[in-house]
Amino acid sequence: MIQTGRLFCLYFLLSWLASPLLAQQSFTVSGYIKDKDSGETLIGANVYNVDRASQGTTSNVYGFYSLSLPAGQYKLNFSYLGYTSEEREILLDQNIRLNIDLIEGVTIEEVIVTAEEKDENVSGTDMGTIDLPVENIKLLPVLFGEVDILKSLQLLPGVLSASEGNAGFYVRGGGPDQNLVLLDEAVVYNSGHMLGFFSVFNADAIKNTTLIKGGMPAYYGGRLSSVVDIQMNEGNNQRFGVKGGVGLIASRLTVEGPIVKNRSSFIVSGRRTYAFDLAQPFLNSTSFAGTNYYFYDLNAKVNYRFSDRDRVYLSAYFGRDVLNYVSNERGFSFRLPYGNATATLRWNHLFSDKLFMNVSAIYNDYDFSFGGEQREFTVNVFSGVRDYNTKIDFDYYANPRHHIQFGINYTYHRLTPNIAQATSNDVEFSNDLEPKYAHEAAIYIQDDFKINDRLSINAGLRYSYFMQVGPYTSPIDGVRYELGDPVIDYHGLEPRISGKFSLDETSSLKAGVTINNQYLHLVSNSSSTLPTDVWVPSSELVRPQRGIQYALGYFRNFADDLYETSVEVYYKDLRNQIDYGETYVNDVTVDVENEFVFGDGRSYGIELFIKKRRGDFNGWIGYTLARTDRQFPDISNGKRFPATYDRTHDLSVVANYKLNPKWQFGAVLVYGTGNTFTPIKSLYFIENNLNVEYGERNSARIQPYHRLDLSATLTPKPNSQRNFKSSWTFSIYNIYNRRNPFFIYYFTEVDQQELRARSTAYKISLFPIIPSVTWNFTWQQKEKGR
Amino acid sequence: MRFMIRLSLMCLFGVGLWACEEEFIPEISTDPSEIVVEGYIESGEFGLPPYVLLTRSLPFFSTISFGDLDDLFVHDAVITIDDGEGIATLEELCWADLDSMEQVFVSSILGQSGLLDIDTIPGNFCVYFDQQNQMRGQVGRTYDLRIEVEDKVLTATTTIPEPVPVDILAFVTPAGTPPDTLVEMRGFFMDPPEVKNFYRYFTSVNLGRFIPGFNSVANDNFFDGQVFEFPIPKGEERNTDVDPDEFGLFTVGDTITLKWTSIDEEHFNFWNTLEFNSINQGPFSTYTRVESNVNGGLGVWGGYSALYYTVRAER
Repeated sequence: MIQTGRLFCLYFLLSWLASPLLAQQSFTVSGYIKDKDSGETLIGANVYNVDRASQGTTSNVYGFYSLSLPAGQYKLNFSYLGYTSEEREILLDQNIRLNIDLIEGVTIEEVIVTAEEKDENVSGTDMGTIDLPVENIKLLPVLFGEVDILKSLQLLPGVLSASEGNAGFYVRGGGPDQNLVLLDEAVVYNSGHMLGFFSVFNADAIKNTTLIKGGMPAYYGGRLSSVVDIQMNEGNNQRFGVKGGVGLIASRLTVEGPIVKNRSSFIVSGRRTYAFDLAQPFLNSTSFAGTNYYFYDLNAKVNYRFSDRDRVYLSAYFGRDVLNYVSNERGFSFRLPYGNATATLRWNHLFSDKLFMNVSAIYNDYDFSFGGEQREFTVNVFSGVRDYNTKIDFDYYANPRHHIQFGINYTYHRLTPNIAQATSNDVEFSNDLEPKYAHEAAIYIQDDFKINDRLSINAGLRYSYFMQVGPYTSPIDGVRYELGDPVIDYHGLEPRISGKFSLDETSSLKAGVTINNQYLHLVSNSSSTLPTDVWVPSSELVRPQRGIQYALGYFRNFADDLYETSVEVYYKDLRNQIDYGETYVNDVTVDVENEFVFGDGRSYGIELFIKKRRGDFNGWIGYTLARTDRQFPDISNGKRFPATYDRTHDLSVVANYKLNPKWQFGAVLVYGTGNTFTPIKSLYFIENNLNVEYGERNSARIQPYHRLDLSATLTPKPNSQRNFKSSWTFSIYNIYNRRNPFFIYYFTEVDQQELRARSTAYKISLFPIIPSVTWNFTWQQKEKGR
Repeated sequence: MRFMIRLSLMCLFGVGLWACEEEFIPEISTDPSEIVVEGYIESGEFGLPPYVLLTRSLPFFSTISFGDLDDLFVHDAVITIDDGEGIATLEELCWADLDSMEQVFVSSILGQSGLLDIDTIPGNFCVYFDQQNQMRGQVGRTYDLRIEVEDKVLTATTTIPEPVPVDILAFVTPAGTPPDTLVEMRGFFMDPPEVKNFYRYFTSVNLGRFIPGFNSVANDNFFDGQVFEFPIPKGEERNTDVDPDEFGLFTVGDTITLKWTSIDEEHFNFWNTLEFNSINQGPFSTYTRVESNVNGGLGVWGGYSALYYTVRAER
């Protein structure tokens, strides 16, 4: 580890000494890139010198860019997918502030203008990174008409759906807890509603989603597999607007507008389901009167630009699932509310044209509770995670060759295991568990270094530290730790390096190695994560997970970047993986960390991707051939077994077609090798009943999964100049009604009358063909002067 | 179990409406069969002499009649029990070898335990038991079981813990609006403090078979040393479709016998995993392997410290 540290110090020293531009007189052009119409900043927009495309950069998550070049005359191109590119000629004899407003929509002519644009896909050092603007996601066919960001990500190579119709996902053979899901920098610990069938992200409130499945930059940490970084919309700072939609199971409404034009804006967005509300009149006449289920999301964000150098954002999310169950017949009822709350306060400050700072204070909370009662008996169970997080991040655009990012962050975690309390008349019971507390901190630096026009390297070093603190009673020696007393600590260096070598203008080779530590864990006993699953910290019993990923890729674009293709191979070595033992019984009275078993894993595969980026007909094909397995001394007698996340073949075909301004069509075809399951080995009699003995873990597979979805979007008056517009989206999920297996179970019975025993295996499939329709609308205040 | 799985789908997904269920034939395992032990030793006035059923595990089948289970029982095993003071040897007794008087006698002994119902005895039912009455279950003792059969040796150990009485049994009107012929049984109970206790219970209606409760076992993690009242649901035959509105309730006028036992931790783990496994399959839980306390085979060797209470169900 010390050696790695030395190597990185050496790297930074050498890269600075080697930089010939330090000696030259250079100036910086910097600013924000925004949508002209709404004032929303654009993330990941490209800026480059038209005469020398390797001199370029992209805007950061706040829409800020900075490009330092030797003094001289330049023609700069500003581009963003789906927007008309802008070219500006500048005389760079001093530092220049240049804010750019791009106009949404691209015409054919403009495509020709951008023909020389070098796509980031080929030119950047990042691998396994995909930006998905939400507008692209909205055109895809969806289940029940609900646009879902996390489900759209599952259509990318290397990303698998946890199960049918589920927003939970696995990335390159990693578990669901190994994905870092961020909403405006706040960690979202449970990203699913309704047992994961819908994600908590209301697409109307979301601007951009970035998925990083390999080569995680040093800026991110704490998870082994992937990052899903989601930014909320900022709100239109030019005009007031309202948009919304009415769907089969939920409706949405968003209001946005300027607080102070050009300076400050707000957005508030809400979504709620109502299927059970509509059923209330029918339920009320049954013995289940009072039973209801719904979920809702609220997103809100305001921002204020104090000056060209200072901007403050405050964003918040609150969402809940609520299930109330009442059985009047048995006098029994329970309430099961759970959900996330996040709040992020951020301050962007420009120290200079080259140094950008962001300071964030973040709060997030995931709460699960269950409360049941039957006359004089009650039971309550709570669990959850609460974090207080602060961080400071710097972007330093040293010169055209170096973009340096560095920062520090700290989080105080409170992780509540299943705390159970019950009463019987006046007698109270408790499982005597208490929340666990921990400090987690990290410091990082990374440099995106363009060595020459062909070769670039992104090197990063992250050092992470984790300490569990009291109150806590050691399960090993019974020692009692009081508030704040250190229990155990872990730390580690997490170096990452990736490089790009351009073979020619349109193709490049990239390679990378990433090392990550993970200090918080969630282990699920189900085929996907459930709201009842509990996050646990590293502790005396649970060691941090550690992962090393090696990746190699070939990237090539064709026909003036109209087609983007890539082949990536990866190998992942996963240490200290966690699972439940084979005889695990879900017992709320026991701390789950006592139920864990530990082992190692590996994962490797090849991902092919071809994408048509522009035109009336666009889309992509992603294919993954992969394998992932685990080896635990306490599972299957230490034999290597396929992980739950193992899927040999995974294919996604996504197509969008714009027939005319009125009609747009979308299609999604997916195919995946069947999921693994643990087969039955034998049956045996105990107490005159048949019991099941299982074979080796995950040694069988259910049938392959495949389905085709179609959608059509009708905009009746696409060219209307009125400020109210609406459209209809018609979706058909699983159009050929494939009965995809969701799970299997065994049923055994002994019939004493008939003197025989029977056993049957059943396969449950969940969603047949499901049509849906959604009506969407937008209203915008008229522009002044029109 | 099917009811539970369907209910959980309906309740929690709200999408049970769309779900579709199809039968399928799983791949048949070619693994050799294993020997299954089901043996008990019980203390107390009604305790039977120790006995062991020795059977084989079967590959997955769809339907099998009891008459076709000739190979189920494992014969010619040498089975001994060592209680630290002496060794008892169990002898094999097969139903088909008994004359009708003996059959009635054996059935009357074993029938109450739930082991045997004279009307449903398959063609060839065999049990190893202590015919010489060499050993009786005693509280506080440890019993080592050793089985030599077909060149294999299987071993298991169990203990009989101290019994813990249920202090009062009572019947109350159930919550909600069930028919007025039904009552709920309540027990008042004091758990001994600072000892780990494990319990299993059975109920018998009108001197019928003892049927374990749907969740028949409990540990005292949650109520160590407490004095409290708790409901005792009626034991229901597994795999029968029970009306959820009447589940666990007793009928007024019936004679109820509660068999209340204390067991050791390994014995508890067997039933706990077995019962969890049978109701928790599907999307919410992957498989749970039954935790046997038998080395070299499947099944259980269990000591029971049993207390019996007989009451009449009244409103």
